[in-house]
Amino acid sequence: MAYVSMGEAHRRITEYLNRFCDAVSYQDSSTLCRLLSFSSNSPPLLSLADALNVFQDASSLIRQSDKFSEYGEILAHLFRSLQSYRVGNLVEAYLAFEKFANAFVQEFRNWESAWALEALYVVCYEIRILAEKADKELTSNGKSPEKLKAAGSLLMKVFGVLAGKGPKRVGALYVTCQLFKTYFKLGTVNLCRSVIRSIETARIFDFEEFPRRDKVTYMYYTGRLEVFNENFPAADSKLSYALQYCNPKRERNIRMILKYLIPVKLSIGIIPKDELLQNYNLHEYTKIVQALRKGDLRLLRHALQEHEDRFLRSGVYLVLEKLELQVYQRLMKKIYIIQKLSDPARAHQLKLEVIAKALRWLEMDMDLDEVECIMTILIYKNLVKGYLAHKSKVVVLSKQDPFPKLNGKPVGS
Amino acid sequence: MDRRNRGSSSSATSRVSNTYGNRQTSDNPRTGSGGGANDLFRRRSDAPLKRNNDEDESNNKEGDSADVSFIVGTCSSMCPERERVTRERLRDLAVFERLYGNPSKSSTDLAVKKFCRTLSAADVQASDVRPLPVLEETLKYLLSLLDSREHLFEVVHDFIFDRTRSIRQDLSIQNLANERVIYLYEEMVKFHVISHKRLQSCSGTSISSMHHLNMEQLAKTLTSLYNIYDANRKPDYIYENEAEFRSFYVLLHLNPRNGVMGEPLSLWFRKLTFALVKSKEICFVRNLLRLYRMGNYKNFLSRTASEATYLQYCISEPYIREMRSVAVQYINNVCYKLQPYPLLRLSQNLMMKELDVESLCHECGLETCTDPDGFAVLPAKQSTFRNPEDKFKVYDLIGIERIEK
Repeated sequence: MAYVSMGEAHRRITEYLNRFCDAVSYQDSSTLCRLLSFSSNSPPLLSLADALNVFQDASSLIRQSDKFSEYGEILAHLFRSLQSYRVGNLVEAYLAFEKFANAFVQEFRNWESAWALEALYVVCYEIRILAEKADKELTSNGKSPEKLKAAGSLLMKVFGVLAGKGPKRVGALYVTCQLFKTYFKLGTVNLCRSVIRSIETARIFDFEEFPRRDKVTYMYYTGRLEVFNENFPAADSKLSYALQYCNPKRERNIRMILKYLIPVKLSIGIIPKDELLQNYNLHEYTKIVQALRKGDLRLLRHALQEHEDRFLRSGVYLVLEKLELQVYQRLMKKIYIIQKLSDPARAHQLKLEVIAKALRWLEMDMDLDEVECIMTILIYKNLVKGYLAHKSKVVVLSKQDPFPKLNGKPVGS
Repeated sequence: MDRRNRGSSSSATSRVSNTYGNRQTSDNPRTGSGGGANDLFRRRSDAPLKRNNDEDESNNKEGDSADVSFIVGTCSSMCPERERVTRERLRDLAVFERLYGNPSKSSTDLAVKKFCRTLSAADVQASDVRPLPVLEETLKYLLSLLDSREHLFEVVHDFIFDRTRSIRQDLSIQNLANERVIYLYEEMVKFHVISHKRLQSCSGTSISSMHHLNMEQLAKTLTSLYNIYDANRKPDYIYENEAEFRSFYVLLHLNPRNGVMGEPLSLWFRKLTFALVKSKEICFVRNLLRLYRMGNYKNFLSRTASEATYLQYCISEPYIREMRSVAVQYINNVCYKLQPYPLLRLSQNLMMKELDVESLCHECGLETCTDPDGFAVLPAKQSTFRNPEDKFKVYDLIGIERIEK
């Protein structure tokens, strides 16, 4: 920590106090944002923190002037938080920031216009980030992490403040997204339900009014929830929306959307181009796409195993596993095509023996009963058109379109 | 490998690594290592265990752990004396509690504390709460009643259902959580699982609500058990039976529409530790999940028959039924009209007796007949298929005899 003289410390603190109070008086939101953004670690904030740690009694400074003491409570907590933050005491920093946030939100309520919305966003963001850091500190000391959960409660409170008829309501989606990030991190994803319900059913909200950036984030998270719940059409539409409206320069965000959109698209029969996978560094899907193109079940199984951990963590494993039936379909189609080349008149008859042989080449040993079972499933779910002649041990394919495409619908729907 | 024949609880001391006593403490204060992202909820070593609402009536207040103290039970018999005396007077004794059948007389050997919705932990006296050794003896006694031939299963179930709920209540109020407690919860889960199966063969108007309530308590007990597994976990350590008991969650959620416990499977898998994901039991049920969702009746049934534990089989029974009627549905739909499907072959694929398969086809609204060679067959492309009603017959699973009682 840099050495600061008392005089200099006094000067810095007073300067900040003036800036803060002027920002509020003149409704200067962007200045206010800069003054509150701890995580930016900006030099002015850090030097203020040093000053506070030297001066130690900033509250007296605040009390001395009417201009400052109007926001006395807010500033006192803010300063305490910044001091703790600077010395790496993150739990204390969080606790003080929480008090600051509560006081700030009270003031915010009283301001009629929505001028301070951006600043409120900063407060919401900072509280989440600080809570995450505080929890890390708690865990590393063998204690139970609970600050992020507390931050979630505070964010819900802020949501409540914004959920009204006035102009402040366009901020609700931003806070919703902060809540999503919080719940996803905590693993308490079911808590998203209530805030989603508010956004989607409350009459005060018009989804189109919200800022684009927030809409994209919202669709990303709700799309992911649909993936968890295996609602593929809904997941497709939400994640596609997010992709469509996401800023193309934000490559990291696009990659995140694609990570979930690709499995969903695969499950409705839409295969991404290899360039897409390459450009966005989504190599975990390369073999899976290959397996689908080639009808190679062994490759699919291998790919699932290779990235099992990653797929399980992101929640797409079960989605990808289901692609098995499509891979089988592709394999049957290949057999049919090969037969057509050598004996067109009888190509539409797939002997179970032949299928079993093809599977053996792929190192998958199945007896005829198992093969028959697979074919039964494929026919029933309309991946193969035809019928099964059990006694003759053959599947007779329909002459027209024996391997219907999925056409944007999941298998079996 | 019959896991149900555990040692009696009195020999449980050899398994004890934690004391029970006043507070639930873990004997090894864990120094936090970085821990996986999964280990979000490790406990401070002297902090009481937070339990996630397994009992609506248990009242562990969240908040500063410093000033929370949990009751230490002092009741030395299966039923607190004042309750027993009151119930004797009110003639509120279950059939198992009556001394020589006398509806107003019980004894310390027979009376077992009833489940009761207490309003708050503050109303509870230590003399009404049973400490761990008494709870262990109580559970042992209750489970011994399962072998009783004197009474209908529904009656036995009802009694044990209620009295084990009271045991869980006592465990919760005292905030007990250690390996001996794990054993108790595992035994109670087993009870609910086995009841789940046995109630299917009972009849009567109240059976379906009993069934439903049983499932509810199965879910709650399982949740409590999972919380205790998670509470004092060493990294990458799994308890002796944990993999099997975790596998029940997957089996209860094979069908995404019938989530008994709320969290979708994709989300649930995220939280499993590496050791669990790789365990034999979890791999097995993940396989079943894949096969079920694919509709692969043949492999689903043959794997279940050859690899499931008895408890896994009990939980899987509804899915076994479902896969069988799915098979009948598919085959009826895809087969060639001129080549009916032999019932013998179908019975082999469905791991059933041939007569049972015939009965199943009829329950599905389909006719069977005999072909010119005298073999029983299922004609295809019948338009009368319907899903059998819920209360249809339970058919044996060929191959499961290897683990039946």
